[in-house]
Amino acid sequence: MANLLEMKGMSKKYGEFLANDGVSISVGKGEVLAIVGENGAGKTTLMKMLYGLEQPSSGQILLNGKPVTFSGPLDAIANGIGMVHQHFMLFHDFSVAENIVIGHEPKKFGFFKRNDAVRSVNQIAEQFRINVSPTKKAGDCSVGEQQRIEILKVLYQGADIIILDEPTAVLTPFEVDELLKTIRFLADQGKSIILITHKLREVMKVADRVTVLRNGKVTGSVSKTETTSDQLAQMMVGRKLQKLNERDNLDGDTLLKIKGITMASKGEKPLLDKVSLTVRHGEILGVAGVSGNGQSELIQAISGLSLVNEGRILLKGNDLTDQPVEARRAAGLSHIPEDRYLWGAAKDATVEETGLMGSQRKPEYNNRSFIQKRAFRSTVKEWINRFEIKASSLEEKSGNLSGGNLQKLIVARELAFKTPFLIAAEPTRGVDIGAMEYIHDALIEKRNSGDGILLVSSELSEILALSDRIIVLYEGKIVGELERKDANEERLSVLMAGGIENVPTKKTSETS
Amino acid sequence: MYLQKKLQKLLKPLVQPFFAVLIGIITGAVAIAIVGEPILDTYIVMWNGAFGNFYFLTSTLARATPILLVGLGVALAFRAGVFNLGGEGQMVLGAVSAALAALYFPGPPAVKLVAALIAGMLAGGLWALLAGWMESRFKVQLLISTLLMNYVAILFASYLVAEPFQDRSGSAALAQTPMIEQGAWLPKLFTGMSVHMGFVIAVFCALLLVIILRFTTSGYEVKMLGLNPFFAEYGGVNKVKVLLLSMFFSGALAGLAGTVEVLGTQYRYVDGFLTAPGFAWTGLMAALLANSNPLGTAVAAILLAALQTGAMGMERNTEVPLEVASVIQAVLILFVSAKFTINWWKLRKKEGDVSGTV
Repeated sequence: MANLLEMKGMSKKYGEFLANDGVSISVGKGEVLAIVGENGAGKTTLMKMLYGLEQPSSGQILLNGKPVTFSGPLDAIANGIGMVHQHFMLFHDFSVAENIVIGHEPKKFGFFKRNDAVRSVNQIAEQFRINVSPTKKAGDCSVGEQQRIEILKVLYQGADIIILDEPTAVLTPFEVDELLKTIRFLADQGKSIILITHKLREVMKVADRVTVLRNGKVTGSVSKTETTSDQLAQMMVGRKLQKLNERDNLDGDTLLKIKGITMASKGEKPLLDKVSLTVRHGEILGVAGVSGNGQSELIQAISGLSLVNEGRILLKGNDLTDQPVEARRAAGLSHIPEDRYLWGAAKDATVEETGLMGSQRKPEYNNRSFIQKRAFRSTVKEWINRFEIKASSLEEKSGNLSGGNLQKLIVARELAFKTPFLIAAEPTRGVDIGAMEYIHDALIEKRNSGDGILLVSSELSEILALSDRIIVLYEGKIVGELERKDANEERLSVLMAGGIENVPTKKTSETS
Repeated sequence: MYLQKKLQKLLKPLVQPFFAVLIGIITGAVAIAIVGEPILDTYIVMWNGAFGNFYFLTSTLARATPILLVGLGVALAFRAGVFNLGGEGQMVLGAVSAALAALYFPGPPAVKLVAALIAGMLAGGLWALLAGWMESRFKVQLLISTLLMNYVAILFASYLVAEPFQDRSGSAALAQTPMIEQGAWLPKLFTGMSVHMGFVIAVFCALLLVIILRFTTSGYEVKMLGLNPFFAEYGGVNKVKVLLLSMFFSGALAGLAGTVEVLGTQYRYVDGFLTAPGFAWTGLMAALLANSNPLGTAVAAILLAALQTGAMGMERNTEVPLEVASVIQAVLILFVSAKFTINWWKLRKKEGDVSGTV
């Protein structure tokens, strides 16, 4: 198979920092190339150079064997290269068809021919079997639909090489499967796909070949049939990853007990609808669900950031229902928040100040209302060493830390409270595999020491890897509960979509 | 290397105010040129009017005293993430309460002095606390309530000194209280000079505020509330309590500003003697210019006071009108508010996002 596109010895320097160091990739017609690597490995830089957003310091791009240079995205598009960005760029008040033809509108005497636009969108959608409704407003479309609009836009512009940047990060499991099917179909139609991702499961499902980047260098370029996801992970991280093994049930006593909490909303449907659950000592209870089905509200209700309209929240038998956050933390709750920039830190506060939150009134760091900075600094330094947090100093602003490092700081802070109960909400969202491993290990270790954890995650793999028991939230209700041994991705996916499971095993509840 | 870094960190926050002042001076130069006076000479006269000799220097410091105290109050509120635009009203209520306490509190003069200081701070603090309470209870925006409550406070104070507590001893019926007995005055720092003990109190407050904000638990909570209220709430900071306390002390500092003016300069409450020179608004500017750093606020307060006293000297000795100082000040305001509006806008947007998802 002749290579349609080749990038040879691409390097990009930002000041002293070498973001790409002699990276070479190639992709043939009708081929799916996956580029994988941890955050900061240089995937995005490479694609920016291909798309004309960045100029390479050295290296060559060959298209059909001929060297080309792109001064901007328009150049790249004109040469048949299209990119679907991670964050969609749609006009929400325009119709789907208008969004797709934008920039290349069918016109007659300078007037936009809307019907022609709809017709050509229908045609192209049919050709590539991508389902959209052209007259709908883009803002009314689901995330998956919006992504399909973006893909159609690129196809409409006549792209033969399509770059997809982390396309599955925002999708539900069903939508992911649909997308993977679409990718496969496009490749069969002769389009070349470059898939940027760090999710190895998807790579193994859809890619023909895989190129792995680490620290700006290619650490492996293999055909999918010759590799395994374990091998790929090893190439990404540079060392062997541990397996999270099966474990024994600890059968601890009841730790957290939630009885029928309801949180009303302005609309008709309550945000939380009579949710009851129990977390025992030595147990990780996973909460699965498509985001926006009540997970945020559940977390806020338990941690005290929002009050519930009915129901009771008991921790170790203490009724916390009407208690403020501080009292709940004192009663033995710590909390890794779902959004680290909104809840978990203040961007303009220093690393030290972000780490201090929650400990500012602890006697070991407080002497007659003066903060004992020296004692606290050594504690933070310990965290930095233990979790290998990369921060230039304790005075650095937390907003300047990378997402993964800030997350590790937050995890370290919350674990340091050594509370019997922990809420871990999206504990590894947007962090690289190395940091993820640290965080997962730390959670398992806490569980094994007899503490209870409520794990809320939109990553099914994370839920499945860590949880002892899994509940599924759908529209504010618990629609299913599975033991670790019974849980698998398929069953969870059905429940997450609101479908009632028709597998004749034991059904929900057993929560009281 | 380390020293350089430290120096950089120290100097970086000064860059923006420095440029604001520089451009203000250039704009002032243009205004002076339009009047047709020599620029450099006029600025020298202005400098002399502010710092030229010991008398002028102390006058500048005396003028800086209320500006500094109000500025500290504003800075404290900003640190907690809220706007206190009510400095003027809090200052006036503090001043009139201090005057009345000094006049009518029973006891020896020293007791009257202490009572006046406490009454002034309490009045200013409680007035600000009311606005804070309305915000936390009924979601009345502080930005608006504090601003509007100024009028209530100022007019109420005018009424008090025009009707029930007016000084009727003299022949002219001015709207002012009787004079406080001398034992309850704040002493002058130098005989014959206008700067009084209030300046020392103000500098002490600035230092105290630095220590509180930097080293104490309460200061930490105030700062975190200002930087990210969601983070503070998540970490167990009692948002309402910290907000109310910040507002109280913010108002108390403004009240203290009015109090020391009564006890150190006028020895009575005179209607309009605090509002006409615009102490509160200059104080607000000082806090903005210094980005709410207490020591920076002190420097900015002295600088702005110097601009005003210097302009008076300039008007006495040259053909350039006093208004040149207003031009320079206006440019400063423009710069500071441009930066501030952007930050404020960002914060609003962030809050909007949250209510969108929650």
